[in-house]
Amino acid sequence: MISKIVFVVFLTLSLTGKEFEQKLENKHNIYTQHCIPCHEHLPYSLEKIYMLYLKIFSGELTFKASLKAFLKEPMEETSVMPDEWIENFSVKEKTILTDKELDEAIDSYWELYDVRNKLH
Amino acid sequence: MSVSKNKATNLLRSSEKSSLKRFLVLYFILVVMILSLLGTFYYQSKEKLMYSNQRTILSDYAHEQIQELRRLHRDFPQKTEYPRSPEFRSAIYDIERSKIFSTLTNPVLRFDKELYRKNNLIRFMVYLDDYYLGAKYLFIEIDEDKEWYSNVMIEIFTLGTIILIVFAIFGLFFVNLFLRPMKNSMILLDDFIKDTTHELNTPISAILANVEMMDLDIMAEKNRKKLARINIAAKTVSHLYQDLTYLTLDHNRKSNDEWIDLKTLIDDRVEYFAILAGSKKVTFELDLNYSTIFIDGIKIARVIDNLISNAIKYNKRGGNIEITLRKDYFMVKDSGIGIEAEKVDDIFERYTRFNSSEGGFGIGLNIVKSIIEEYSLKISVSSILREGTTIRIDFLKGTVDDK
Repeated sequence: MISKIVFVVFLTLSLTGKEFEQKLENKHNIYTQHCIPCHEHLPYSLEKIYMLYLKIFSGELTFKASLKAFLKEPMEETSVMPDEWIENFSVKEKTILTDKELDEAIDSYWELYDVRNKLH
Repeated sequence: MSVSKNKATNLLRSSEKSSLKRFLVLYFILVVMILSLLGTFYYQSKEKLMYSNQRTILSDYAHEQIQELRRLHRDFPQKTEYPRSPEFRSAIYDIERSKIFSTLTNPVLRFDKELYRKNNLIRFMVYLDDYYLGAKYLFIEIDEDKEWYSNVMIEIFTLGTIILIVFAIFGLFFVNLFLRPMKNSMILLDDFIKDTTHELNTPISAILANVEMMDLDIMAEKNRKKLARINIAAKTVSHLYQDLTYLTLDHNRKSNDEWIDLKTLIDDRVEYFAILAGSKKVTFELDLNYSTIFIDGIKIARVIDNLISNAIKYNKRGGNIEITLRKDYFMVKDSGIGIEAEKVDDIFERYTRFNSSEGGFGIGLNIVKSIIEEYSLKISVSSILREGTTIRIDFLKGTVDDK
């Protein structure tokens, strides 16, 4: 009986762990699949853009909310990019991602370049 | 006149003394409160001055740090080392007050004050217009220079003490000013008594001597009674004269102590007051053992006379007086009007009388008290209203003959 319980608990935990890992991978997949391919050919790296955003929108919640709003409705007026950039590359198109996917992609973006983890 | 003045200084009653003490305590508290308030204002002004000096330095440090943060933001992530300075410590926080990086000694911060002191540290906060590294708040921290604090404290205490002394001198001056009318009235009363006393001596002596010399055997009964009344009246005045003389003249003379046989003295004084007691049909119950005491004869006579005289004066008609003498104490118990419990402590005050319907100046028990205090004897009073009063004097070891 006890061995059965232990087996069930072990199975549940391994499934939960696997599910978590899968989710994390998916999150990164969204960011890698939907953000990097376009940006890697542009002269402004994603990290540079992160620092531009950070300089204007202090704080994690503000940063994420502003970025999400821009990605859903990109406009010249709300873009943080320099004028020369806009003239050359224009404003990006509206995102095709769902709200959930967008949140996950932005979370990955924030975690990847968070200055707190790099300052020493 | 100078003697009178010196005496008048001591004439303050305890109630007046306590009023004076209360006034002085109140005055002192008020002065200390005013000085504390002034000290607080002075401290605050000095603190503001210190803050304004420090603000200039801290603003420079903040400006320097912002430039460093700007450079770091520009060069990030090639450069990731947070800018540090040996002159100050700093921290950056984002708009959500979440820490980005800190070199502060204590992470607890106040976001509501631009400049503040805490635990020997001075902290200065500036808002960043451009959020370099996402920072909205920049904190600059330096160690507090405690010299200004000790200097201010020394100044406050030194000045405070000087002002307190000046105010104390003013206070004493005012007290003297307020007391002058009271002292003057006391001096006036004393001088009046003193002058009157001189004028009383000769006529009283003449009356008493002539009354004593009269031959009662050949006198008619009616006249004998009249003569007894004259004798009582003269003795009452004589008793008063003795008290006044003691108070105004004998009080300051040197004591002439000797062994006094108290039993003989009391018998003598009871006999002296017998006619006065008889006029109120007051009887004496004497229970006297042999006892001697080393004391000034005139002074102990004043004590006994005053206690007996009061016991007669405040007794009811047909009452009795019990006088007990033992080796180490003497007690007079009357069956008179008694005294209210709360007034017992006041009976030794000068010019205080138990009952305004009775005559006298209210000086008898004050004299008793001064003599008792001079010889360090112990006096105790117990009284029940409308039942009577008992006054007991205990002799201390050494003053009585132990043989």
